[in-house]
Amino acid sequence: MGSFLLEQIVNGIITGSVYALVAAGMTMIFGVLRAINFAHGEYYMLGTFAAWWVMTKLSADYSLAIVGGVLIVSLIAVLIGRTVMQRLIGQPFQAGVLATLGLSLILQNIVILAFGGGYKVFNGGWIEPIELGDFGMSQQRVILVVVTLAVFAGLEWMVRSTRLGRSIRAVSQNIECCQVNGIDVEQVVRKTFLIGVAIAALSGILTGPINVSIYGGMGESITLKTFAVIVMGGMGNVRGTLIAGCLLGVIESLVAGFIGLQYRDSVGFVVLLLMLMLRPHGLFSSKARF
Amino acid sequence: MTTHPTTTSPIRAACAAILSLGALAAAVPASAQSGDTFKLGIIAPMSGPNARYGAFANKGAALAAAEINAAGGLLGKKVQLVSGDSQCVPAEGVAATQRMISLEKTPIIIGDVCSSVTLAMQPLVEESKVLLVNAASSNPDITYKAGVGGFKWTFRNYPTDEVRAATVLEYASKTKGFKKFAVLSVDSDYGRGAIKFTKRYLPKYEGAEILSEDYYKDSETDFRSVLSKIRRSGAQAIFLYGQADTTPIIARQMLELGLAGKVALVGNGEFNTKETIAAAPKVMNGAVEAAAWLPEVPAPRSLKFVEDYKKANGGEMPNNHAYTHYDTVQLIAQAVKSANSLKGEDVRNALARIKYESPMGTVVFDDHNQAVMPMVLLEITDGKPEIKGMIATKVDYSAAAAAAK
Repeated sequence: MGSFLLEQIVNGIITGSVYALVAAGMTMIFGVLRAINFAHGEYYMLGTFAAWWVMTKLSADYSLAIVGGVLIVSLIAVLIGRTVMQRLIGQPFQAGVLATLGLSLILQNIVILAFGGGYKVFNGGWIEPIELGDFGMSQQRVILVVVTLAVFAGLEWMVRSTRLGRSIRAVSQNIECCQVNGIDVEQVVRKTFLIGVAIAALSGILTGPINVSIYGGMGESITLKTFAVIVMGGMGNVRGTLIAGCLLGVIESLVAGFIGLQYRDSVGFVVLLLMLMLRPHGLFSSKARF
Repeated sequence: MTTHPTTTSPIRAACAAILSLGALAAAVPASAQSGDTFKLGIIAPMSGPNARYGAFANKGAALAAAEINAAGGLLGKKVQLVSGDSQCVPAEGVAATQRMISLEKTPIIIGDVCSSVTLAMQPLVEESKVLLVNAASSNPDITYKAGVGGFKWTFRNYPTDEVRAATVLEYASKTKGFKKFAVLSVDSDYGRGAIKFTKRYLPKYEGAEILSEDYYKDSETDFRSVLSKIRRSGAQAIFLYGQADTTPIIARQMLELGLAGKVALVGNGEFNTKETIAAAPKVMNGAVEAAAWLPEVPAPRSLKFVEDYKKANGGEMPNNHAYTHYDTVQLIAQAVKSANSLKGEDVRNALARIKYESPMGTVVFDDHNQAVMPMVLLEITDGKPEIKGMIATKVDYSAAAAAAK
């Protein structure tokens, strides 16, 4: 029983690290734009598809596909950042909702149009199991957790110690003051968006070998779970996102393992409702942003 | 924002184009009805997580329609397929069916792939007196409710899960010697229905028991928690009545957890395709499936269908749904010919009496409008599906009623 519990917690942390990676970008973008990016799951999907495309069409191996996939999606992010996201600065929130929901539909359907609506098989990755005493897991999952920790450490450093990080923090506190002080807000928004999207794409590529079947609509469910994570973590709080993501993953795992898989997806929504009712500013202090 | 004044005119042009397209679309049904075409409706999921089923279904039906038209059509009319998207969601399927009935006025509709949608379409076609021929849903209730069960306008040219569940259980218990089972099926009328009937027949096998029961949402990708539970429970086999696209995910995660060769998959969910087996060959070896059809069926007309389908679709291998929709269009064509009428009611009466030679064998309908047809039982051996036998999908309704008590 004890080891079963431990195993479910490990499973949860692995699942949760994907949620955390995707949510990190979403929460940063919310920080600078005050807009929920409804299309965020699509960048996760685009990352997986880009890597799949690099592997199948250019017959590159998986490690090259990680780099190629992130690069391709980053190019898309540069384009969307300039044409859509930077124009949302100072706009009412409805504009952000409409623009990102629209982007979500466009991106999904472009992928379906280009590659067809059917599932694709994502081959590659390091899927051989490692035996960890009582239970096994693929090498890919270990890599996923290590990369998640590295990305969050990097984000933490970037936000605290670099000029870009300082300007991101400044913009997320007060846009007008930044404009007065000569910070190029549009550029900060573009760069934040690019970082967020690249991380989402990376998490998609890293989970590809585990999820195997990929399709155009695969980003939707991750977007929904990400809402719960960013609300739990506190909107705009990067560190909180890591803990909240893992927490959601662990609760989901325990529910699936002890109650039943059919109740798993309800966890995120129940958590979201409870958070909004009881602690709308998140699990952590409302001052903890960045 | 005045920086982009030029953007307004393309938008206006687009709006105008959309409006004129709408007018064109509205004008089409009225004019096509009087022409030399016979409209045959297909409702299938064309978008969402189950979109690929709809794509296969439509391509299979299109191949049959092309063959029929090349041979002179139906009673002198060309068959024209009209397609509706159910998204595998009952409300969407009903809306698409309603649109098809009121706008396209199709006397016959083939649909849906997803059992939940088909169950929702049944009362609607009954009310509208439109013939519904199902080609891909397997929930047993569809035919329990049809024919003498109530709905006179529903026919099913596809095996029911009642027979499938019983056959898989029999093979898993008797031939493979499994006693301890876990359930991991899709959370839909298909997945739950198959398990309901598995449980009904389980007491026939001494010592056979179900240790755990889980259902997954069709977009689920993380099965580790539930597979860990199954591994610890000591189950020898998993009843998996699932979606084709989820089988590789489950197989891959079973491999990860070290379940390969220890726990077998039994049930249905395109276990036999090359892609699924390639996802985790060690897990798929020993998997047992009862399927309506697979490309490896050695019947000559079935092999010819595979060749023709590949030729028509750029080398793509047909799946089960492509075949069953192809076959169902052919079945309807024969019913139309023997009725010598394109009216729904005449075709319905002809279907009840029909003796149709499908590529798989003879098909007749019982008093619940359920096709009694051959189905394939297969086991994956050395990375390839091996056909273990053909089963007639004949339901013994009185015995089933007794077992339910």
